[in-house]
Amino acid sequence: MKINNFLLVVTTDEIKKLKVKNVNFLFPITNYSVGFLNTYEIGNITTPNAYLYLNRIFDTASLALLEQDLKKLPKNIKGICFTDFGVLQIIRKINIDVQLFYMQNHNTTNIESIHYYLDEVDSLLLSTDITKEEMIPILDQAKKPLIVPYFMKVDVMYSRRKLLTNFQEEFSLEHQKAISLQEPISHEFFEAVENEYGTVFYHEKFIDYRNIKHNNILFYFINPLGLKINEIVNILEGKEVDASTHEGFLNQETYYQIKEEQGYVKH
Amino acid sequence: MSNIELLAPAGDLEKLKIAYLYGADAVYCSLKQLGLRANANNFSWEELKEATIFAHHLKKKIYVTVNIIFHEKERKLVEQQLLKLDEIGIDAIIASDLLVIRKCQELHVSYDVHVSTQASILNGEAGLFYKKYGVTRLVLAREANIEDIKKIKEQTNLELECFIHGAMCTSFSGRCVLSNYCTKRDANRGGCAQICRWTFAYPKTEQVFSMTPKDLNLIEYIDQMIQAGVNSFKIEGRMRGIYYVATVVLAYRRMIDKIIKKDLNPKEIEYYLQVLNRCANRESAPQFIEHLPGRKEQYFLGRQEVSNQDFLGIVLDYDEQTHFVTLEQRNYFKVGDEVQFFGPNHETISHQITEIINEENEKISIANHPGMIVKFKIHFKLEKYDMMRIKLFDKHTFL
Repeated sequence: MKINNFLLVVTTDEIKKLKVKNVNFLFPITNYSVGFLNTYEIGNITTPNAYLYLNRIFDTASLALLEQDLKKLPKNIKGICFTDFGVLQIIRKINIDVQLFYMQNHNTTNIESIHYYLDEVDSLLLSTDITKEEMIPILDQAKKPLIVPYFMKVDVMYSRRKLLTNFQEEFSLEHQKAISLQEPISHEFFEAVENEYGTVFYHEKFIDYRNIKHNNILFYFINPLGLKINEIVNILEGKEVDASTHEGFLNQETYYQIKEEQGYVKH
Repeated sequence: MSNIELLAPAGDLEKLKIAYLYGADAVYCSLKQLGLRANANNFSWEELKEATIFAHHLKKKIYVTVNIIFHEKERKLVEQQLLKLDEIGIDAIIASDLLVIRKCQELHVSYDVHVSTQASILNGEAGLFYKKYGVTRLVLAREANIEDIKKIKEQTNLELECFIHGAMCTSFSGRCVLSNYCTKRDANRGGCAQICRWTFAYPKTEQVFSMTPKDLNLIEYIDQMIQAGVNSFKIEGRMRGIYYVATVVLAYRRMIDKIIKKDLNPKEIEYYLQVLNRCANRESAPQFIEHLPGRKEQYFLGRQEVSNQDFLGIVLDYDEQTHFVTLEQRNYFKVGDEVQFFGPNHETISHQITEIINEENEKISIANHPGMIVKFKIHFKLEKYDMMRIKLFDKHTFL
């Protein structure tokens, strides 16, 4: 089956060099996005049919500022991706005509919840925490086409705290807004990215779900954080990518609760 | 002010009873399958029924957390379990998955629905999103500050519940799956391994560090929070012991009552702060309530918990004729020790132990076996479930 649409998080200006068709560009926005070193001012986005990636959890004051900015939304903005339902509410309130996508990929784990969310939005990003065995029946039943993880760094933690600033101050280290860390017991590596609004941890490896095919997909979602332009092209063209990948939880279910006396048990 | 509630954790039936006895207006607990604290003992259906009857007999409330994020397998249980909770007659559930919230509305359940802190509500508009689905209360994100609380109240006019005491997540609640990646234990389905409290390595400098937040403690802010519109003051800790539950509930109960009656001596706040620090195993801070926490509100070098041996025993009986108190020992104590008794119906009493008698009626000098039953004389009427702790300070020294 031919892949039709990608929703691609833009991380560098080099992306303009992309000559691949059917790519929809998703822009992290200054003051309203977390987990990105490069963000964009809404007014400076000139790409036709652009999407905004507003993945912050908003306090009241920040949401009021966003509302003012959205009232002046340029015509080339086709859609808004969000994780905070406050964003959905203000868009409804000011009545702007944009597509709305719910992108909280740790919540969209079962078909009934997804249907309730789809009552509110045009589509949503399917969870990165579920197996392929769970994913396919959800796609079969979903009442609107969904956004499916395709090739992405998964955000595994979002803190309001400036964790890197705190750590670097504590140990008098050079201040960096993005660092790589390892959890020594599991040996897992994470990348942490901080801005004024908090710190996002990503798992270091990209999930590669390029073998998920289904006819109920609106977009394939790509977050190529840190990849060079030629590797992004390789992703889009279905070629080998020079990056560490893993299959996430596609074929391995997470443990549902734990009974201490029995060790780890599956539900 | 009559709608101010002190809400306590109940990891099991014993803790639930202690929480009510020591002054909680309501408790929150979980069934064995649907809550996020899977390592707490939690409640069977029979225990929940008993707990609900017990709560309502005392004219108090009981809330049940149904706050996991449901995967396909579990979602098929939801409707049946929500209906069963209705039969039992609980007062509210605490939920974050829209599946649960919408189902409750469709099923016309008679209990209230509260939105869990897992939804990380930090603005009024997000609160309004849930309000249209019939929820009556928002449990705000722990990241909310006083101004956020005021605005959310103004915008939503819903009941607001805020955490005031206990452990903090590093992450926004509901936005962390570190546990999934490091241990395969699902953080949003009751398996959180608290990876953020583990040590991370920064390979570039070989520095290791943790991100552990100090615990939350908002005892100094209760009055401001009441003014801002908070209705329910929530204590974290379904996995904590009865001493913790009793101490923390009692401290906040007395603070809240004095604030409501407008007779709080500001110096008492320092006393209660010290009392709370005694039963804590980590340092605490007000965290987000006034400003963004910085490095002083975190630990950086591994887990910093300290074992606490303050809790010496729990009163099983007091004989008014002989003045003998019978205790179940919880930590080592000996003849000569200065101790304190505290309970819900009296001020703290200091006492020096002059004798200890064991179950064989023998005089002993040391109570050193956990759970052993001992007795000694004290000329003050104590009550079952009063507790004995090491004496470190007296309240009057703070006033």
